[in-house]
Amino acid sequence: MRRTIAAFVSVIAMAGLAPAGELDGTTYGSGVTIADPTPIATLLSKPDGFVGQKVRVDGVITGVCEKRGCWMQLTDPDTGQGVRIKVEDGVIVFPYESMGHRAAAEGTFEAVKLTPEQVAARAAAAKEAAAGAAAAAGEPCEKAGEPAVKAGCDAPVKDDTIFLIRGTGAVIQS
Amino acid sequence: MTGSGSGLRTTPGPVRLRRLIIATHRDVGYFFAGLTVIYAVSGVAVNHIEDWNPSYAVRSELKELGPLPEATTEALADEVLRRLAIDEEPKSVVRMAPHQLKVFLDHRNLTVSVPGGTVADERVRRRFALFEANFLHLNTGKGLWTWIADLYAVGLLVLACTGIFIIPGKKGLGGRGRWLLLAGLAIPLAYLIWKAW
Repeated sequence: MRRTIAAFVSVIAMAGLAPAGELDGTTYGSGVTIADPTPIATLLSKPDGFVGQKVRVDGVITGVCEKRGCWMQLTDPDTGQGVRIKVEDGVIVFPYESMGHRAAAEGTFEAVKLTPEQVAARAAAAKEAAAGAAAAAGEPCEKAGEPAVKAGCDAPVKDDTIFLIRGTGAVIQS
Repeated sequence: MTGSGSGLRTTPGPVRLRRLIIATHRDVGYFFAGLTVIYAVSGVAVNHIEDWNPSYAVRSELKELGPLPEATTEALADEVLRRLAIDEEPKSVVRMAPHQLKVFLDHRNLTVSVPGGTVADERVRRRFALFEANFLHLNTGKGLWTWIADLYAVGLLVLACTGIFIIPGKKGLGGRGRWLLLAGLAIPLAYLIWKAW
């Protein structure tokens, strides 16, 4: 009986763990199936060439949607460049406490054109952040004359277009 | 009702069926009572997700460390930890930009402005009991829990179907129960007509 219980517990414990390349950890969604990651810097230097393609990116989780866990920001620690992994609400929930962990994520690279209202809302949010706690964390993300894909920011914006990965799965290292 | 002269007791079909319904409702109710409480508490918590994070308590405060020296990312992180008297190996350190450093500790994130030395010190804590309730209710773990949650849904269906047949007569479906049942259905229906259709 004890063996049966132990086996049952082991199966449950292992259910959430799956390897992705060299990365072992907890699997979210359909996990990671692409063997080779695309460097985030490559992705953001020529974003138009990757739009519509399924890509895998690796990095450190530097941001997570605080309320719903519906996105996470993966940043390449070597370059500081990051990309947002947006997932369907409730289908995948990234835990807020996973910030700082290494992760791999994959999905379709997308360019999302912002509406004028969204552009205005982002500008207002950036202004508010600059006046509040985020000001202490650094300068505003979108600064005139600096690259739109500047590190440490929200989803990269270029010509009122956000580039993000519509995530289908991820593996977060424990 | 007594049966034949042999002393055997027989029970009419409807009475036996009602006893079965009551027994089923009672046992399924006991079995799923705990899960119902967990899901109800989580349901209320998650309903108000626009106003708060139902699973984590995140507390942030600003600290001034004074000007920081020019240094490598690792050395800078060491200096920040030293000034904050934190004796912990970071999970990771990322130079997000020339003017910004992030140090990730266990349930604690430091966002440092460089070279100013202002730190946004964010502490993350799982909300007691609510984290676990939401983990189950939102089926975060997927896999096996999906099946258990499906079983629970079937259990709720059984509770609903047996519940309406427990009491016969005026207080049951023949009287007050019927009107309460219709009122309960009318509320979601009215809302759908108002908002969705």
